Amino acid sequence: MKDRQGKERQEETTQIIVFKLGEEEFGVDILQVREIEKLDQGITRVPKAPPFVEGVINLRGEIIPIVDLRVRFGLTVPELGLDSRVIIVEVGEALVGMLVDAVVEVLRIPVSAIEPPPPITKGVDSYYLAGVAKLEDRLIVLLNLERTLSPEEEKELREAELE
Amino acid sequence: MDVSQYLNVFMDECQEHLQSLNQSLLALEQDPDNMEILNQIFRAAHTLKGASATMGFNKMSNVTHAMEDVLSLLRQNELKVNAELINTLFEALDLLEVLAQGIAEGREEDIEIAGVLQNLQKFTTQEVTAKQDQSAERRRNLQLRYLPAEIERIKEAANEGLNLNHLHVYLQEECLLKGARAFMILRELEAHGEIVRTIPTAKELEDERFDTDFIVGILSKKPLEFLVRFLEKMLDVARVEGEVVGPDDLLVERRGGVAKATTDTSPPKATSTKALSNVSPTVRVDIRKLDDLMNLVGELVITRSRLEQLSSEQGDHALAETVEQLTRLTMDLRDQVLKTRMVPVDNVFSRFPRLVRDLARETGKEVQLQISGAETELDRTVIDEIVDPLVHIIRNSIDHGIEPPEVRTAAGKSLPGVVELKAYQAGNNVVIEVIDDGAGVNLEKVRARALERGIVTPEDLEDMDDEEVMNLIFLPGFSTSDQVTDISGRGVGMDVVKTQISNLGGVVEMTSEAGKGTKFTIRLPLTLAIIQTLIVQLGDEVFAIPSTLIDQTISVAKKDIKILRNREVTLYRGELIPLVRLQDYLGVDRAKNANLEELDVVVISTGERRIGFVVDTLVRQQDVVIKSLGSYLGNIPGIAGATILGDGKIALILDLRSVA
Repeated sequence: MKDRQGKERQEETTQIIVFKLGEEEFGVDILQVREIEKLDQGITRVPKAPPFVEGVINLRGEIIPIVDLRVRFGLTVPELGLDSRVIIVEVGEALVGMLVDAVVEVLRIPVSAIEPPPPITKGVDSYYLAGVAKLEDRLIVLLNLERTLSPEEEKELREAELE
Repeated sequence: MDVSQYLNVFMDECQEHLQSLNQSLLALEQDPDNMEILNQIFRAAHTLKGASATMGFNKMSNVTHAMEDVLSLLRQNELKVNAELINTLFEALDLLEVLAQGIAEGREEDIEIAGVLQNLQKFTTQEVTAKQDQSAERRRNLQLRYLPAEIERIKEAANEGLNLNHLHVYLQEECLLKGARAFMILRELEAHGEIVRTIPTAKELEDERFDTDFIVGILSKKPLEFLVRFLEKMLDVARVEGEVVGPDDLLVERRGGVAKATTDTSPPKATSTKALSNVSPTVRVDIRKLDDLMNLVGELVITRSRLEQLSSEQGDHALAETVEQLTRLTMDLRDQVLKTRMVPVDNVFSRFPRLVRDLARETGKEVQLQISGAETELDRTVIDEIVDPLVHIIRNSIDHGIEPPEVRTAAGKSLPGVVELKAYQAGNNVVIEVIDDGAGVNLEKVRARALERGIVTPEDLEDMDDEEVMNLIFLPGFSTSDQVTDISGRGVGMDVVKTQISNLGGVVEMTSEAGKGTKFTIRLPLTLAIIQTLIVQLGDEVFAIPSTLIDQTISVAKKDIKILRNREVTLYRGELIPLVRLQDYLGVDRAKNANLEELDVVVISTGERRIGFVVDTLVRQQDVVIKSLGSYLGNIPGIAGATILGDGKIALILDLRSVA
């Protein structure tokens, strides 16, 4: 009995990396995160790229596109500050960098705390979300990276189909 | 036994043997009595049979086994090479390719082989009767032989109820103007059927280059007796002998026409013997490993440039010397790695004799393919991508270029028509030319078609010179053939070719002379991985422009810029070219060139057009390693990729051709 409970408890948790966009807290599954980089080398802008693509960076010889999630989600965009970071995540076979205002912590949360997302959470369309983690005094929005970081057309296509 | 680990090796070998079979069969078709070629075919089939049986691919081993049976009869001289046999062997070969594909995809079991097996076995079971009939058959068809394409036609005609009649016409000894008489006879005869072939040829008959008799092969619905009587009634005809010949009793023309396809250049022969003697020890390497290696070398090149920069700041003599040495080694290493990726274009060219043979048959044309420079090397990735455009161009040359035999004869052109495939290296480029001696491009037709398709307005057309008109064929939606055929056309022709070649960083040009032929010239970079670029500065950013696109860099004084239809233009080599401020094109802020008195301009050549791009400063020439921007940003027009410079900064590589 105890054994089973103990085992269950282990299965029930998941680790996320918590970061900030503006003042709101978001989270991504740690298994999808390759690394976290400071922005000291600057981003090379790519003309004619989609607006949410801030540009590209050189990550030890690999060229990685950087996505500004705030633009992606249509949030207000504060200036990049000292705390700004790039979270490099693996989506499919590609590496993509997500520009965030700050990385807060690595958190182990119980799976049971994760609920399906309401249609709009903190101004973000539920299409981009994997769920919402409700902790004692915090609400962390978990991202569905595949959807967040796939080219815009797919969401538009889906919306067109729904109509 | 577990064979999966050997599957890759098997597939590779399989491909090699299939290719060698393909080449040897073509060679055998031209030289049916060549025992050496026959032995090569036999060995390849035998090896394939053994290998596929070992791997448990029963269908493949069954087919190769049946092939082997037929081949051994050929070797023992108990069976003779004829068109049907060659076609059956090709059919079996095609099936083997399908099977190989099926094995690779794990669905060999689903492939139907019974039909081909039956066709092969027909030869082995008929062999005894065939042998007995041989002498009679040979006597019967002694004079008239047919091209494979003609045999196809005859078989087709048999289904339509047309019989092939061989009519041996003897003219009276005292006949004057034999040539004219023969010509008349043929013309009268044509009212009753389709003349496939005559001996001597129609031209020789007309020129009176024959004694008093000639033979006509004619497809006709009329009974033989009728034809004989019809001829006997004609003036100057002494007597006529005739017989009806079944489509299976025909002899193949061995010399001339299609059969001549490669006797001059003999690429199949050369390549097939080369293939077998080419046994210098080699290692098979997964192309991805070479890609990784290339990437690493790219990194090394970048790091080396960085070290060079640091060392020049240090001013340490010993360090500088070591860095210099490192530079040399890095460059040598880079060259060697590039070389490992190079493969001869023969890999692609060797498919074309078969393609040309099949196309010639389909179209009923006589075409000779001449190949040269097959040893020229290209990067593996380029090789893979060049196949489709080349196939398309060659199809076009045969379909639209080379005329049908009677048209060529009438125009006094030689038979067969010639398609030349040439490759050679020119500097950092490899040039591939496809030249045909066909009808050439009819400019009037091009003009008419372009108007009809709404590609140009009549006013545009008036301003165009011949070369510009000719280049209209590369525009989307253009196809000059009056009929859409299976072979080429459907209106997706040359524009696709142009795009595919552009994607490889190459250019394609066409020149043509009416009645004389058409020439396509494709220029390709030696490799896709490293390119020479001009680094330019614009505002705070640097960009790399591939040198292959650049016509020249010039300096233009502000006063030499004119405004024409709201666009900036300037005079360049006696021609007005548009000027584009690069920042306007790319949407870059903080560019400084707007206020400069003297502008640095990079002139880009996009085939026929030239455009000047205004930058802030020209920085330097540099070889860069191309990196993809990934699926996210891979399809932005005007941006071909990115590269990492010596200081770790990223420079975007601009493909300015898309501006035009």
